[in-house]
Amino acid sequence: MKRIFAIMLAVFMMAGMLSVFAACEPSTQITLRVLENDTAKKEGYLDYLLNAFNEKYKDENVVAVDANMDEYSNLEQDGPYGHGPDVLYQANDVLMKYVDGHHIMPINVTEMDVFEQVPQNAWDAYKYDNNGEIVYCGIPVNVQQPLLYYRKDMLPEDWQTEWDDNDNGIPDMVEFWNELYLYSQSIRKSDMSKYGFALQLNNEYFNSGFLFTYGGYIFGNNNTDDTDIGLSAGNAKLGGKIIWDLAGIMDEKCLDDTFTTGRESMLANGTIFATICTPDMTSSFVKELSAVYRKEGLSEEEALKKVDENLVITGLPKLPANGDITVRQDVTDDSLWVAHKTMGGVNGYGISSYTKNREWALKFVEFATSEEMVLKRAEMLGVVPARADALQQVGDEVAEIIFNNLDDGTIVVMPSISAVGQIWLPISSGFKQIATDGCGDCLYTMDDIQAVLETIDDNIYKAIHTFG
Amino acid sequence: MKNNVFRRTLGSIKKLPLRCKEFFKDSGRETYASMCFMGVGQMINGQYVKGLLYMLAEILLVAYFALQGISDIVGFFTLGTVKADAWLGIEGDNSVIMLLMGIFAWIALGFLVYLYFANIKDAKKYADMKAFKKIPGIKDDLAALINSKFYKFALFLPLLGVLVFNVLPIVFMILIAFTNYGGTIVPPELVDWSLDSFRKLFAGGELAQSFARILGWNLLWAFASTFFNYFVGLGLAILFNKKCVKGKAIWRSFPVLAYAIPGFITLLAFKFMFSNGGPINNMIVDNGGKIIDFFGINSKWMARGIGFFVNAWLSVPSIMLLATGILSNINTDLYEAARIDGASGWVQFKSITLPFVIFSTTPVLLNQFIGNFNNFGVFYFLRGDVLSDGYFLASDTDLLINWLYRMSIDKEYYSIGAAISLVIFLITSALSLIVYVKSASYKKEDTFR
Repeated sequence: MKRIFAIMLAVFMMAGMLSVFAACEPSTQITLRVLENDTAKKEGYLDYLLNAFNEKYKDENVVAVDANMDEYSNLEQDGPYGHGPDVLYQANDVLMKYVDGHHIMPINVTEMDVFEQVPQNAWDAYKYDNNGEIVYCGIPVNVQQPLLYYRKDMLPEDWQTEWDDNDNGIPDMVEFWNELYLYSQSIRKSDMSKYGFALQLNNEYFNSGFLFTYGGYIFGNNNTDDTDIGLSAGNAKLGGKIIWDLAGIMDEKCLDDTFTTGRESMLANGTIFATICTPDMTSSFVKELSAVYRKEGLSEEEALKKVDENLVITGLPKLPANGDITVRQDVTDDSLWVAHKTMGGVNGYGISSYTKNREWALKFVEFATSEEMVLKRAEMLGVVPARADALQQVGDEVAEIIFNNLDDGTIVVMPSISAVGQIWLPISSGFKQIATDGCGDCLYTMDDIQAVLETIDDNIYKAIHTFG
Repeated sequence: MKNNVFRRTLGSIKKLPLRCKEFFKDSGRETYASMCFMGVGQMINGQYVKGLLYMLAEILLVAYFALQGISDIVGFFTLGTVKADAWLGIEGDNSVIMLLMGIFAWIALGFLVYLYFANIKDAKKYADMKAFKKIPGIKDDLAALINSKFYKFALFLPLLGVLVFNVLPIVFMILIAFTNYGGTIVPPELVDWSLDSFRKLFAGGELAQSFARILGWNLLWAFASTFFNYFVGLGLAILFNKKCVKGKAIWRSFPVLAYAIPGFITLLAFKFMFSNGGPINNMIVDNGGKIIDFFGINSKWMARGIGFFVNAWLSVPSIMLLATGILSNINTDLYEAARIDGASGWVQFKSITLPFVIFSTTPVLLNQFIGNFNNFGVFYFLRGDVLSDGYFLASDTDLLINWLYRMSIDKEYYSIGAAISLVIFLITSALSLIVYVKSASYKKEDTFR
């Protein structure tokens, strides 16, 4: 009995070992590992993309697979040792921080058909000066910027007569910051537990745009010179004053993440009328609001229809040219208003320098940035395509606003140099300081605001250059 | 005893020249043979297997140094000369790996030197013994290894593990502090040796100023919170030990419940409670007050105070549990005798309870102190998004460990992070060593056994 048992054991072990050998057999197939973001995985776009690619090249002995890595894994640390992905999809600041160490490859984009379709502003996000020679290290796929979210059913009954002075059928309070300020003030006056416009004011991504509009910038020389930091440049203090003013129509809740973690439910239950957010969060707004409508007795279908009607997502309101949002101005006179510049990002594909199959990686990127795939991505994920031809087919109003903003420079694309990692905390801390005074003691003068902005510049400079 | 070790070491160094002289005087050809090539002396002595092992060791180690080790040691000094460039296909040098391999080569060199001297000593020992005694063969050696020298056999692998997994990373981290690694200088850029981190940390300027400020607050925090938590925990334990307290089990379970919830969840819950839209502020507003910005940019001492009590919430229960166990060990006769002598409750506590508890918990107290000194979680979770005026990339609630985290993880300035952690290590180790050596639980180790 014992002997039989031993023999059986031996046989199993042999079988196990043989299967290991079989698995180790060298395969000649080329595998491309593709790193995508989690949303694309969750919504099934990545599978669609990989299947389409593998289908197209099924006779070529190449297969593209999910790299199965963390969305934010570090190519710098994985790549040189052969653990990194071959192709990566990232926001432009993340992707371009790899360029200084030459971890991602320059791509000869000028000869690809995508070059004509994407605005130059988006290409600039992937531009790199390689000892005087301009190269591009990524291909833009979609664009992102903050948008205004508001509830149509929370507008005053008489908005068409009282709040539409320019008679264009759009409420003025979502078109002009001065009107939004005034409207928010009136809401606060009638009920202190409610807010008109509400936003976490120390959020650096959503609020830097106020500074940009009046001449502030992050880095000099088109966001490439990290020795020149200009958040206090020009009349940026007017933007700082707007943050200070906005704090006045909220309260201390704008100083921490109350309005960020709670924005969906607060908009849904009517605590706030409007807020700013990026389009990738739209689905959670819809979910919260439709839940409220369902509670009011609507069926699921009716609720979603009502959400579609009442939850409006649109471009950011216009800012006054003189920088004062507290006084009403003539909304019919275009010369009094300027577009609200905002920080934005361009996501795209890059190729790892450590890939063993550069040609195939390039082919994959070419495929993934083709009109068909970019369109599919926009449809499945609700993102705004960076390709003009794909945009036309999406035919979405908001998408068009964003695309045009990118084209005309209203979107200030996040800097693509590695120093960008050092800017966030100083900015958010400085904004917090301005907003703390704005909703509290209200002692700040323009000079104080300017001083805070200069401290931000100073802190960023120190963070970058003290150990450089 | 410390003194003794010191004196002994000094004495043996003084005697070294004399001992060397004697050693050479009565050495035979076996010893000299072993000096020339490891293992030859053993061969002459007739210990063939041992001799072969020594020879093999020398060949392997010398081969390692010839092929790899010497260039690793050179690399340890240069930290790389060729910059990698993936675009041009230049593989280049990775300074960080070179530093690591360099440390390894030094360890290997130390091992070689140790083996060399052990080999000479061994050859001489058995050459002397040969004259009047049969020398042991390999079988006897192996037998000795699992009998009289079992500690060597048993501890060899753990020691190797400690060297590779503990000593190597610690030495690596310490050495990082003496380089310029971090910021823009990360591979493929080449790292260099440099004392800049320490210069910036100590030699004036804003960095040194905030270092002093943070260190001051850090020390205050560590002493105050350790003291407070310890006595509150002890007080609770004594309270729940009193006969007059009814429903002890229930009362005791509350702190234990607080202890059982993972710390960072508790911290996030507290952050929410004190946030501007949180329940505490809602209550204040409902009662006609104004929102208090507990963790705001200007609420230095309020935030510090809340952190202090939140930390007490987290660590008092463990002290209480510990003290409960220790209190049950005190001989109740002592109290009875004290009562007969007319000692008051306070005197009983001061003279019986406290010495006993402190005696048993000094190591724990040290552990608590170091834990509080390096208490990362509290202010990271409660107030991680603020920079204060006069602090270099830190807030006025940050402890050194938070500052270190921001420098080395957020900002990727590894060398300055390593320098700060070296300072933390020096402070905590010096303090705990002094306290421990001076404490009763170390001096009278055997008293209560």
